Amino acid sequence: MSLNQIERAQGLRIRSTQDFAGGLFMILLAIGAYVFSWELPAGTLRQLGPGMLPKAFAAICGLLGLMLSLSALRYHGEKLAGWSWRGIFFALGGACLFGLTIRGFEFGPIRVPALGLMVAGPLLIFFSGLAADDRKLPELLIFAVAMSAACILLFKYALSLPIPLAPWLLGI
Amino acid sequence: MKKLVLGLAAATALAFAGGAQAQGYPTKPITMIVPFAAGGPTDIIARIVADNMSKTLGQQIVIENVAGAGGTTGITRAVTAAPDGYTIAMGHLGTFSAAPATYPGLKYDPINGMQTIGLAGGTPILIVARKSFEPKDLKEFVAYVKANTDKVNEAHAGLGSVSWTTCTLLKGILGTPKINAVAYRGTGPALNDLVSGQVDFMCDQIVSVAEQVRANTIKAYAIASAQRSPALPDVPTTKEAGLPDYQIEAWNGIAGPKGMPKEAVDKLVDALNKALNDEGTKKRLLDLGTVLPTAEERTPAGFAALIKRDADKLTPALSAAPKQ
Amino acid sequence: MMETISHLSLGFGVALTLKNIALCFAGCLVGTLIGVLPGVGPIATISILLPITFGLDPTGALIMLAGIYYGAQYGGSTTAILVNIPGEATSVVTTLDGHQMAKQGRAGIALGIAAIGSFFAGCVATLIIAALGAPLTKMALLFGPAEYFSLMVMGLCFAVVLARGSILKAFCMIMLGLLFSTVGTDLETGQERLTFGVASLSDGIDFSVLAMGVFGFAEVLRNLENPEARDVVKAKIGRLLPGWEDIKQAAAPVLRGTFVGGILGILPGNGAVLGPFASYTMEKKIARDPSRFGKGAIEGVAGPESANNAGAQTAFIPLLTLGIPPNAVMALMVGAMTIHGIIPGPQVMTRNPELFWGMVASMWIGNLMLLVINLPLVGMWVKLLQVPYRLMFPAILIFCCIGIYSVNNQPLDVAFTALFGLFGYLLIKLGFEPAPMLLGFVLGKLMEEKLRQALIISRGSFYTFIDYQERPISLALLIVAVLVLAIALLPAISKKREEVFTE
Repeated sequence: MSLNQIERAQGLRIRSTQDFAGGLFMILLAIGAYVFSWELPAGTLRQLGPGMLPKAFAAICGLLGLMLSLSALRYHGEKLAGWSWRGIFFALGGACLFGLTIRGFEFGPIRVPALGLMVAGPLLIFFSGLAADDRKLPELLIFAVAMSAACILLFKYALSLPIPLAPWLLGI
Repeated sequence: MKKLVLGLAAATALAFAGGAQAQGYPTKPITMIVPFAAGGPTDIIARIVADNMSKTLGQQIVIENVAGAGGTTGITRAVTAAPDGYTIAMGHLGTFSAAPATYPGLKYDPINGMQTIGLAGGTPILIVARKSFEPKDLKEFVAYVKANTDKVNEAHAGLGSVSWTTCTLLKGILGTPKINAVAYRGTGPALNDLVSGQVDFMCDQIVSVAEQVRANTIKAYAIASAQRSPALPDVPTTKEAGLPDYQIEAWNGIAGPKGMPKEAVDKLVDALNKALNDEGTKKRLLDLGTVLPTAEERTPAGFAALIKRDADKLTPALSAAPKQ
Repeated sequence: MMETISHLSLGFGVALTLKNIALCFAGCLVGTLIGVLPGVGPIATISILLPITFGLDPTGALIMLAGIYYGAQYGGSTTAILVNIPGEATSVVTTLDGHQMAKQGRAGIALGIAAIGSFFAGCVATLIIAALGAPLTKMALLFGPAEYFSLMVMGLCFAVVLARGSILKAFCMIMLGLLFSTVGTDLETGQERLTFGVASLSDGIDFSVLAMGVFGFAEVLRNLENPEARDVVKAKIGRLLPGWEDIKQAAAPVLRGTFVGGILGILPGNGAVLGPFASYTMEKKIARDPSRFGKGAIEGVAGPESANNAGAQTAFIPLLTLGIPPNAVMALMVGAMTIHGIIPGPQVMTRNPELFWGMVASMWIGNLMLLVINLPLVGMWVKLLQVPYRLMFPAILIFCCIGIYSVNNQPLDVAFTALFGLFGYLLIKLGFEPAPMLLGFVLGKLMEEKLRQALIISRGSFYTFIDYQERPISLALLIVAVLVLAIALLPAISKKREEVFTE
């Protein structure tokens, strides 16, 4: 009995967790998109409606996802690898902090005043810098201030972009 | 880090404090929101006018492009900002007169919910068609369109655009709202297909189509203004050509949030007037095919009346248009 | 021929004044320096720098703007190679092999060959514009909605070839990109699609938000995870400039890329975007060992970069001769011209010959400047890679954040980019390549628009796409699409059969 036959004899099982998860992921996205475009009319051939293409693309995405999951049962492939939550938390969190503080933010009961680039810049660099495992706090502090100052000079003064600097302090 | 930031901030503050407290409004740069991308017709007019207004006001007017949802995103931000006179917006026919009928969920009220400053300029609208389109003049065009409603194709630059708004009005007046409308993303691609003869006609601003008309790659039936335009003196007005009801101009004007201090409104109106009387600014606007506003339209009340008048004119046709 | 020469000599007479050369140089330099910031793509660069040209005379302003444009384009490629962030759709392909080369310590060679290839492509494209600008315009007018739709379908078939690894997964990504492209207000009815009521999404997902997210932010996350991989970049800095061997290897791809990019650039519906993809497809298909692609093949940089620059230049043809901007960058150029009182149209050539030919001549000078500015700068860019990553990534993040914020001045865009960063990280974990998704996204918008236009005009008949009498171009493009797909799929299927259980 050849190797191939031995493999086949073992029947269907998940041989590539990465592809299997990828397929499921596509299926989930497709279902989500289909559900959210449910209300949109598909229209007629003569006058395609707004819902025609989103639904069609979602359906194809789902189908491809299914094929991918099924192929993961037959063919060997990569395994799923672990996540790095620290990078996500600090690096993406830093970017979100920047978005929240640059012009202020209001969402229900939460209110963040417009702090401007002078605060949002150092905040972003410092917070995201914490994601590196070889971080050095004093160096990061100095870098955060120096880099922000450079950005302020470059974007606000050299290029005069309309970015708020520090509305709470300078009024601009 | 706090110390460093504060130190830096204090140093910058000192640098600015000098000129800041000398007189009243304005004591700091004014933000003018342009609700479209940089480089578009509204952006160009805003930059030309703001350039001169800055000189009069003694403070920089900073243009901030906030594009989205046919310009309503930017206007929403401007009219819901603090009414301190430091946030104003340059809107147009679409965002001020047509938006309530186009976007049902609109978050501002152009008639009662904002402080108008004044009109910056108007741009005539032309009815243009592909070169080989059968009708020779406007009368023939009207008859042809009415007789061949399901054969004709109209191009426009997307729902909410000036060309969509003005063409929907035209179709309302002609009583042919069901003409096949081919939507494009912007005037450029629509014009391209008009030049190559894929679609039959469209309505758009003179700035966008004048060069093509002059080069005879498309033909113009009429201009929807009271007077002919010096840019295209051979094109008759709709009145002369037999469709007097179709009168519409795409204009750009300045407004801010309701409740601005009177001093700020007065100074902005004055600065706008000085800009429109300045020879250099005037020439740059006229070169674009802009019609300068009348004395009346340059006042807050006159501009508000214009918004109301055009809103009343457009609402029936826009509400009946096939959408949503 | 004589006419072309006299036109060009008029143009060079205008462009070669000391003032205009200085303006061209300044434009290229500033454009490169701003365009190289990650997160600031060519569109952002040009809109940021537009105001600095306001004080100049029209000819000088346009020459400087053209310089800024080339600088921004090249700056975008530099970021794609060095930090794997494409500033716009045309540099997506450059990330595939360019960044791999950088990882192997060949960043300088990648940058050098990109500059040399771009210069060559720029020279050829300038000649094409001067000699054939007017007649080529007619080609643009042959393309109606049906032809464009077929062209986009062909482009999507090209995208399959971008796949490194599973073709099925590449298909998944293309379709996902198409799905993303449908987000936003419907052009015809104004209905909101998949926007979840978020105002930032009402005009669809912004390209820079998606690209910075799935490339820029996700790349940062990936690098944070395995410190070994990123240290490779700084450990090895080989030669700075390409040697004869490299140039010999890249010569043919540069030629082919120039040809393909130049042709596609003329099409007014943003055909230029297809240039680099088409060139990459071609190189990968004719290469003796296609498996090298995606692992740092120099042809994968030389071809697409030449196509990119040739297309960037021939994209001026529809603008200058028809007055119709083919893409967002060119629309910005129209705005800039209008501000200076020149409304682009079919008559610019006859009414302002100095301006027209001066600008054409300055294109060539601009390309020369790029080479002059960038070859010495290569060393500096490569040295930047030696900055410790713990400081480099926060700097990348702040440039990205400011860049994204300043495109629309919408803070929420920054948060969305972070969200797409998470999404991109998930894709990496699941073994998906984001490049085909980006192409699907870019082409999807146009494809839907053109499909609906074509069907309205044909009153709902699909026959319009394969009507060999009325629309032979559309039919031909679809046939090419099918062929490309067949060539891409057949070996994969047969290979898969052999390999089924060998692992």
